[in-house]
Amino acid sequence: MSSALTQRFPGINYGFIGGVCLVILSLIGMVETFNQREIISEVITMGQTLLLLTAAFIAYKGASRASGTGQAAVIGLTTGLVTAVILALLVLLGKSVNMRQVFINASPVLFQILIFQQEELWVGILLLLLAGLITGLAAGLLARVSARPRSILITGIFTLTFVGMLQDTLSPVFSEWGALSGFNELLFAANGLSISGAVGLFTAVIAVKLLWNWKSASTQTAVRSMPPQARKRLNLVFAIIGVFVLLILPQVLGLFLSEVLTIIGLYVMLGLGLNIIVGFSGMLDLGHVAYFAIGSYTIAILTSPELGFFSFTFWQALPFAIVMGVVTGILICTPVLKMRGDYLAITTLGFGEIIRLLVLSDFLRPWLGGAQGIGKIPKAAIMGFEFTRPQDLYYLILAGCLLVAFIAWRIRDSRLGRSWMAVREDEDVAQAMAINLVSTKLKAFAVGAGFSALSGAIFATKLSSVYPHSFNVMISINILCVIIVGGMGSIPGVIVGAAALVGLPELLREFAEYRLLVYGAVLVAMMLLRPEGLWPEAQLARELKGDDATAETNNQTPAAAGSQS
Amino acid sequence: MAIIATQNLTKQFGGLVAIDNLSIEVRENSIHSIIGPNGAGKTTVFNCITGFYRPEAGDILLEDRSLVGFLPDQIVQRGVARTYQNIRLFQNLTAMENILVGLHGHLKAGFVGIVMRSPATRREEKEAHAEALRLLKFVNLTGKGDLLAKNLPYGDQRRLEIARALATRPKVLCLDEPAAGMNPKESQDLMDFIRHLRDAVGITILLIEHQMRVVMGISEMVTVLDYGRKIAEGTPAEVQCNAQVIEAYLGRGSATAQPCAA
Repeated sequence: MSSALTQRFPGINYGFIGGVCLVILSLIGMVETFNQREIISEVITMGQTLLLLTAAFIAYKGASRASGTGQAAVIGLTTGLVTAVILALLVLLGKSVNMRQVFINASPVLFQILIFQQEELWVGILLLLLAGLITGLAAGLLARVSARPRSILITGIFTLTFVGMLQDTLSPVFSEWGALSGFNELLFAANGLSISGAVGLFTAVIAVKLLWNWKSASTQTAVRSMPPQARKRLNLVFAIIGVFVLLILPQVLGLFLSEVLTIIGLYVMLGLGLNIIVGFSGMLDLGHVAYFAIGSYTIAILTSPELGFFSFTFWQALPFAIVMGVVTGILICTPVLKMRGDYLAITTLGFGEIIRLLVLSDFLRPWLGGAQGIGKIPKAAIMGFEFTRPQDLYYLILAGCLLVAFIAWRIRDSRLGRSWMAVREDEDVAQAMAINLVSTKLKAFAVGAGFSALSGAIFATKLSSVYPHSFNVMISINILCVIIVGGMGSIPGVIVGAAALVGLPELLREFAEYRLLVYGAVLVAMMLLRPEGLWPEAQLARELKGDDATAETNNQTPAAAGSQS
Repeated sequence: MAIIATQNLTKQFGGLVAIDNLSIEVRENSIHSIIGPNGAGKTTVFNCITGFYRPEAGDILLEDRSLVGFLPDQIVQRGVARTYQNIRLFQNLTAMENILVGLHGHLKAGFVGIVMRSPATRREEKEAHAEALRLLKFVNLTGKGDLLAKNLPYGDQRRLEIARALATRPKVLCLDEPAAGMNPKESQDLMDFIRHLRDAVGITILLIEHQMRVVMGISEMVTVLDYGRKIAEGTPAEVQCNAQVIEAYLGRGSATAQPCAA
């Protein structure tokens, strides 16, 4: 490819990128695995959607540089065509040579998927090229559509994909809803959305989006111009609705989704704990699983009849679990007080592993159960009511999350929270502002560890048993990813991050195999596109706070809104 | 009477003697400048005074009590605050939060008080908030309190850093090249501001500065350092005519061409 050619058709470069992406997605087996799920029944599968959306995204990126509609269309077409040609070459190569020695996923099934299950190879290749052209053209034109209709279309497409993907979790849930179960049959087929359901959903999303665009601006100004008291009342109403939804959620969602929610909840507590250490105080802790393990094992040792040392109830053991977590946090922090950055990360990583190896060791087996772990941990109970089913545990975990989030929120805007953030920003200067580095850092580790020990304690009673292998380094990495994706230092960010990174893989079993790959891709994408996270930390408008008279001038001060950068 | 003084202060980095047997006495409520060519050891003096370096020999006295051996956070509690040559604000905190961090040492809320938001905590936070607003106004940053420090213009950042240092309620304020990067108009404003600071707040100001106009304009006493040694001390007028000072700044032989010999 000469540079003159690529200059004339910039789509060629993008096409190569797209082609390589799709070849990789195919050869690692993602396309084939995802093909078992249909997005729209008998129309399009998840594997095809993956290919189409990837190609479309790259064509869109290429075309968004174009200056005119014609140019955008040309770039889109070339990108789509080149992408499809590369994929077609893969099919031709795969059909003639056996690549499975190296690429075990390059199966005939994969190539049949790529040529739309056509008997005749040439028909299939032509279809593939055509699909490439159409996708490229559509994506290229989309880049020229003005922002509002474009965002409506993109939202519609992603909602369809999302709902279609989750058909096998959502459908059983909807079918339980009595009167609403007819809605279920309308929306879903045996696998994926039904065609009528897809059309209906798409229309509904567009309608909602249109309504939103039409009304949101005027609603916002209306809310802003409300007197403070009325606004307070409105906030209260929303809070009550929120609490109500949180309370009835497990009853509505059924067993499986409640289970997913409990796992998300455990990660929310862990994430909020790590957020104190990494997000607020800026100390990179890669051994966060240690406190989770300490919480779990403290509960196990104190309550399990299997070891026979103690026979506490869950509630009697819980304070000990949290105190043990706090003490471990302080013990681990003490030797690393002087360390910064990478050194701190490596050391804490080591401490996390030490805790796991200790509970795994034969030496401590009589006390900690060794590789077989500790079983028969009693369930938590309140006045005879046992938290056994996921639907019940949900409430226990919800209470834990709310408590932890409340504490984190109170601390954030206080003397202690500010001292943590000052240490994060500049340790030396923080010290010159009368902040005692030792006690400030110890407090961060103590609070973060306490939150995570609480999570660990609930985890132990949830599973009724604890094993060393539940506490490997991957948990630490997962928690870190949760707060990076959610937004460092942001409390709602942790919740969003946990839902996205922990909840989604639980819902998509096919994902599990590619979890790490997807994590990597998501992290890279986040760093490039949204380095501040999905829900970044909000700045507090401190200057205007507490002064009721200034509430109306809110929208005039430059400080109130747009200082994110 | 000297509010802060160094006595035979010596600081070495390996074989390099950064400060050599330095004695300075700063009178209470004065503006005292330390000048000298690059690498003369001016900032090292500040780092020793504020506790970031531990001197090898000599003593530092604040109101006749030694500061040597204390940590920076303890020294600031005793009443010595500083700003930095290259501005070191908490970039991702707002201007208000920067000042509130400065007030840290004067707040007392503990963990339980913070989580329960006890009446004492609430009262303390309210007072801190009011004081931060007052300081914001004092450095002429009213209305910019909710901007991130990194988004403020350069001159505002300089003043915010001073406000943050003032929040610690110092007796002695060490300003490290506050006029760096300022144009003549801005440094004139800064001089007025520093003078106002001394007169209105009544604190002692120890100043490192390169701009001679600023130094000569506001200082009551000037100490000149070269290679870590004190080579001259006196009023601006005395120092300006000192042959050794001119030599240190301009090189040997220039002393014959000094302007104020006549």
